[in-house]
Amino acid sequence: MQQSRRTFIRNSGIGLLGFTVGGCEVKLTPEDARQQKIPFQVLSPDEVRTLEALGESLLPGSAAAGLAHFIDHQLAASPRDQLLMIKYLGVSPPFSPFYSTGLAALNNSANDQHGADYADLTREQSAALVGQMAQANPQGWSGPAAPFFYFVLRNDAVDVVYGTKEGFERLDIPYMAHIEPPGRWGE
Amino acid sequence: MTLPGEKVDAVIVGSGASGSAIAAKLAVGGKKVIILEAGPERDNQSLISSAIWARRLKWSGEPVIEEGENRVGHVFNAGFGVGGSAMHHYAVWPRLHGEDFQVRTLYDQALDWPLRYDDLQPYYDQVQRESGVAGDAEQEIWRPPGEPYPMLPVPLFAQGEIIARGFEKQGMHTAPLPLAVTTSQYNGRAVCIWDGWCDAGCPIGALANPVTTDLPIAKRHGAVLQANATVSRILTNDTGEYVTGVEFVDESGKTSRIMAELVVLAAFTVQNPRLLLASATDKHRSGLANSSGKVGSYVMSHPAALVYGLFDEKTHCYLGAFGGQLLNQDSYGKTTHAGTGAFGSYQWMIAQAVKPNDLLGIATTRADLFGDDLHVFMKQAAHGFASMTAVIEDLPVAENAVTLSDQKDRFGVPLARVTHTTHAESKLLWQAALEEGQAIFKAAGARKVWIGPQGSMHIMGGTIMGADSANSVCNDYGQTHDISNLLIAGAGLFPTSGGVNPMFTIHALAARTSEYLLKNWNSVIR
Repeated sequence: MQQSRRTFIRNSGIGLLGFTVGGCEVKLTPEDARQQKIPFQVLSPDEVRTLEALGESLLPGSAAAGLAHFIDHQLAASPRDQLLMIKYLGVSPPFSPFYSTGLAALNNSANDQHGADYADLTREQSAALVGQMAQANPQGWSGPAAPFFYFVLRNDAVDVVYGTKEGFERLDIPYMAHIEPPGRWGE
Repeated sequence: MTLPGEKVDAVIVGSGASGSAIAAKLAVGGKKVIILEAGPERDNQSLISSAIWARRLKWSGEPVIEEGENRVGHVFNAGFGVGGSAMHHYAVWPRLHGEDFQVRTLYDQALDWPLRYDDLQPYYDQVQRESGVAGDAEQEIWRPPGEPYPMLPVPLFAQGEIIARGFEKQGMHTAPLPLAVTTSQYNGRAVCIWDGWCDAGCPIGALANPVTTDLPIAKRHGAVLQANATVSRILTNDTGEYVTGVEFVDESGKTSRIMAELVVLAAFTVQNPRLLLASATDKHRSGLANSSGKVGSYVMSHPAALVYGLFDEKTHCYLGAFGGQLLNQDSYGKTTHAGTGAFGSYQWMIAQAVKPNDLLGIATTRADLFGDDLHVFMKQAAHGFASMTAVIEDLPVAENAVTLSDQKDRFGVPLARVTHTTHAESKLLWQAALEEGQAIFKAAGARKVWIGPQGSMHIMGGTIMGADSANSVCNDYGQTHDISNLLIAGAGLFPTSGGVNPMFTIHALAARTSEYLLKNWNSVIR
């Protein structure tokens, strides 16, 4: 399937994520967007790789749930339309530098400690590094405070895995929407 | 439609709870009113049930710079768009107590209000009839005098029953949480179905937010609401004796003016002092209404004491209202914890409906967990989680303040900087509450009890009312001491925070102010 461009569309005042696929505009969830390899707007391929690996350490299943497409879509939106939790954690927009410097710091620490990028670490190595991040800046870290970066990315992962109707179903609790989300998390 | 340049009776800056309430009363009273809202238009049908989508309701305007040891959490606490922060508020509506109005007189601490509970009681009663509050006045043994609630209380779900058991074992009392939520049809509004989506906005009108209650009344009586209109300056006459209107920037970036007999600033606690300070003139060099030098001072935010537990029983923690099911005010006495160094009041909001994600969601309560451990916890907590939150009085400190930054927004207006560090005695009260709360959860049979970090709930002060114009900004009606036709509305008026949620008091003050304005219109505007 050919993908050409991606744009925001508006529907009833609600920002929907639209993709133009094969010349037709369609709405996709980040999970579907990932499966269809929709191009990223903000994140680089290396950042996506690191982000998905970190997401799997923080909450397994988050990469497949479209964590990278979710974050990329939100970073591409105007500050008014962004739905990332970081918006109320004391960081002023734009938020892209926070993510890019944090992911770079993660790779720096991984290389400093293990001589490899984060995505290439073993499961044990990556879990240990995340454990360090949760407490303090790991060795080789240079970027936003590691515990804060951990907190923000962990919450992003929780958003895509458990903040949706499917996530509620996984927990066997009722969603009980008055008004259903148009997609799973703002696409 | 009122056009920019046309003179109106009143221009109200902000369409949140206080602005909408005053707009409705003035419009019903025959005044020509325009409301300018910096954020976008909202209606109930745009309120999507999702903790992620709910973030649209949080502040998304010009950045606010936060400093100090205990930041106020402006983006989280403030609102953006029509209805303001009331669109994501939890509708917990307890009253302030009598002693809250006389903290300086009674305890030689903090400040006094320029009015007493008796002055405000009729307006609490009026507002609860108009907006609809559910509760049980008899069970609420701590409640100051007032009419019974017009609706029966919130139903009790398993989480509430389980935690109440802990309070009972500790010799403490619980009562239904007073909520501005319908437990029966009220003024044509639907009945709450207790789905816990309160802070995502309530599209069925069960929760008393401005889009459901006051704004329809205001519009029916001719008030005009203009969204995406950011006020950049308050205008004065040549002598600086009166305000003449406001300047605002619309969505296209065009700057216009609305001229008015009366200006009401109802743009929340941080933006109100920012606008006053940024509107300085040669007649008001330190900002409008700032002869006292107190514009911006005494910003307060309730420290939130968060207690969590896991129970073997099913808690059905996803049911109920986001604010909770039960109330306890046994520790409301200011000196209840004397000897610990703590001073002030607090209440427990008990058994809050909770969602898996977001800042107050289940996952965030155990931020230390990740990987498979987080999945295991989520599956357990989804069915056995319980929580309660203490609203801790934040004693006013003059240095906790809104000031202007050197940075400017896209319209050239200096950004607001908010500095806040919790008063030492309030911090000790927060710690005392946490100890009490953990003991209650253990008594209730929790197999695991833990606490959260200090949260910031609500933002108050910054344009406080007072009897003395030398150390306050407004009188007891919110009328600025310096400029009679410039009023402030909202929680920024509070000289002390009490230990209760501010929304009911915001409405009571707005009702009292509206009545005063209509009765004294000519003397206020000139």
